[in-house]
Amino acid sequence: MPATALPPDASTVVVTDRGAAQRRARDRALFGNFYRRELTTRYLGSLSGFAWALVHPLALLAVYHFVFTSVFRTSGFEGKSFLAFVAVALWPWLAAQEALQRGTVSLSSYAGLIRKVAFPHELVVYASIAATLTLQFGGYVAVLLVLRAFGEPLHLEGLLLAIPLWIVMAVAITGLALALASLQVFIRDVEHVLMPILMILMYLTPILYPLTLVPPDLRPWVAVNPFGWLVGRLRDALLDGRLAMQVDDLIALAVAVLMLAGGRWMFRRLSPHFEDFL
Amino acid sequence: MSAPLLRLAGVGKDYAKVETRGGRMRLVVDLLRGHEAADVFRALDGVSLELARGESLGLIGENGAGKSTLLKIIAGVIPPTRGTLMVNGRVGALLELGSGFHPDYTGAANIDLAAALLGLTPDEIDDKRDEIIAFADLGDHLDDPIKHYSSGMVVRLGFAVATALAPDILITDEVLAVGDESFQKKCVAWMERYLDSGGTLLLCSHSMYHVQKLCQRALWLKDGRPVREGASAPVTQAYLAYHEEKSQGAKAPMSGVAAAAAGVYAIQSLAVDPGETASQGASLTVRGEVYSPDGRAPVVLIGIVRADGTPVYGVATDMDQVQPTRLGADRFAFDLAFAALPLLPGKYFIRAHALDPEGVRLFDNVERELTITGTTRELGMVRLAHRWNGDEGAGR
Repeated sequence: MPATALPPDASTVVVTDRGAAQRRARDRALFGNFYRRELTTRYLGSLSGFAWALVHPLALLAVYHFVFTSVFRTSGFEGKSFLAFVAVALWPWLAAQEALQRGTVSLSSYAGLIRKVAFPHELVVYASIAATLTLQFGGYVAVLLVLRAFGEPLHLEGLLLAIPLWIVMAVAITGLALALASLQVFIRDVEHVLMPILMILMYLTPILYPLTLVPPDLRPWVAVNPFGWLVGRLRDALLDGRLAMQVDDLIALAVAVLMLAGGRWMFRRLSPHFEDFL
Repeated sequence: MSAPLLRLAGVGKDYAKVETRGGRMRLVVDLLRGHEAADVFRALDGVSLELARGESLGLIGENGAGKSTLLKIIAGVIPPTRGTLMVNGRVGALLELGSGFHPDYTGAANIDLAAALLGLTPDEIDDKRDEIIAFADLGDHLDDPIKHYSSGMVVRLGFAVATALAPDILITDEVLAVGDESFQKKCVAWMERYLDSGGTLLLCSHSMYHVQKLCQRALWLKDGRPVREGASAPVTQAYLAYHEEKSQGAKAPMSGVAAAAAGVYAIQSLAVDPGETASQGASLTVRGEVYSPDGRAPVVLIGIVRADGTPVYGVATDMDQVQPTRLGADRFAFDLAFAALPLLPGKYFIRAHALDPEGVRLFDNVERELTITGTTRELGMVRLAHRWNGDEGAGR
């Protein structure tokens, strides 16, 4: 069932131009086209785009390292060096942040298509998120390898758990992006409000510090952050080599699936009216 | 008889009227709760039509009448607010310029994108790519971004992709207006081949010539509502007549009684036989009575004008040295007959004027409407008898 069909009960639209299998093939081909376009225009098309995608997180990492170790003189957390501790968590956060910000505005660059051609609009958001996350995951692996080469004590077999963790993150981020992108069509401030909110959230997530440093009475508030679960498990896997599944993992998966379902529901309600506002 | 390719029943489309950000937020909340917006603009209302395989329909109407909205609904770009829409085949739509194109992408890349959007599988695209490139005839420009193309080039590319799809229903929207002569000829020739091989066409155009040439039926939309639907000749003629009247300004027939009370020569009655409608080539009689305050026979002038006031023919009794027939002390009758009226189809007014016996001053003006019906595609107001020389067997 295409996302643009079936508005409220007052009207019915029946289209029998091609079977469901053909429609899925068409959607896959479209997704591939959009995905390749996102990669080329954003990253591979220009040298600066590609460089920036990697330089930005690396520069941030270096700055935090400088500030925390040279200025604050922290000596690492939980027996791990500051660099490894933060890199494992900061990189996925920055990836999620970029995916959300780009995903929110992704529909506007396809405004012409949306106004003139019938296609499932959510493919645009999927392609945007996929382009960001696949590239950033590649960067993540590269950074981990570099850190390991520099002698940081990383358990690279933790990547086995990191991959499904990133997938769960992708699912949740996609749900959020669908909701935000559909809202953005009507209310252009969403992207501007998102930036400061994300910055604040980053400091409220145990990325630059371990959860254990948070005062006990405030700890539940910080712990409830789902991204906190993600960074915790990533650290378990890559810093400690603990790969076993936990109950929390299933809860997190359920939360991510719910977020995706919620985002899709909202997107489908609003999608038939994009043409009027884009 | 197979099911129709396209059926609309009571289709309507409302657009929410929101300007402020607060209004938009309220709209979002309404939509999420499953309600439609409160304050709406009715772009379309009550449109029903059926299109079977091999039929062709022209969509006509003024700007803002809702034609593009209707085509977007049929193409699936937007959903209708009311009514049912049933589409039973592949729709190839060429809506506005550069549909399915991204301005930063090259022509070649846009072929891939547009074809993917139209539902072609990558294999199908590979097969058709040469055909598309040949039809578009863009040469090296294929590697330039579309934003550098002229509008004619964009349309050529769009049409090339849409035609390669071989859709069950082809919808095209005023696209024939762009593009140079040779492209338009290529387009029309392709469309005629497509129709001959059983294709179904939905054409939206401001050119009544194209609608009459390519479409069997026509639907006239005004302010979002259907005004008239039927065979393309009468609907397009009615539409043209409406426009001519609009530019002229409506002229209500004047009453002769009021003029008579003022003591001037006045047309008392005017009747046109066969009536308000006549077919092309039929005979026409104009009869009436005229009042004369001083008992002398006035001059009667009968004129035929087009709906916009362009005069076609006018003749007065004194030009032919006749006088109206005396009926009484101050009443006269006139009777003017045309044997085989060569007027071409369209809307006209028959005007009767009363002049003084010297034929100098005009005192009255009474009008009757006359619509000439016919299926000819000849142009102009009057049919001139003619013969094509050269092929003796095909003379008229």
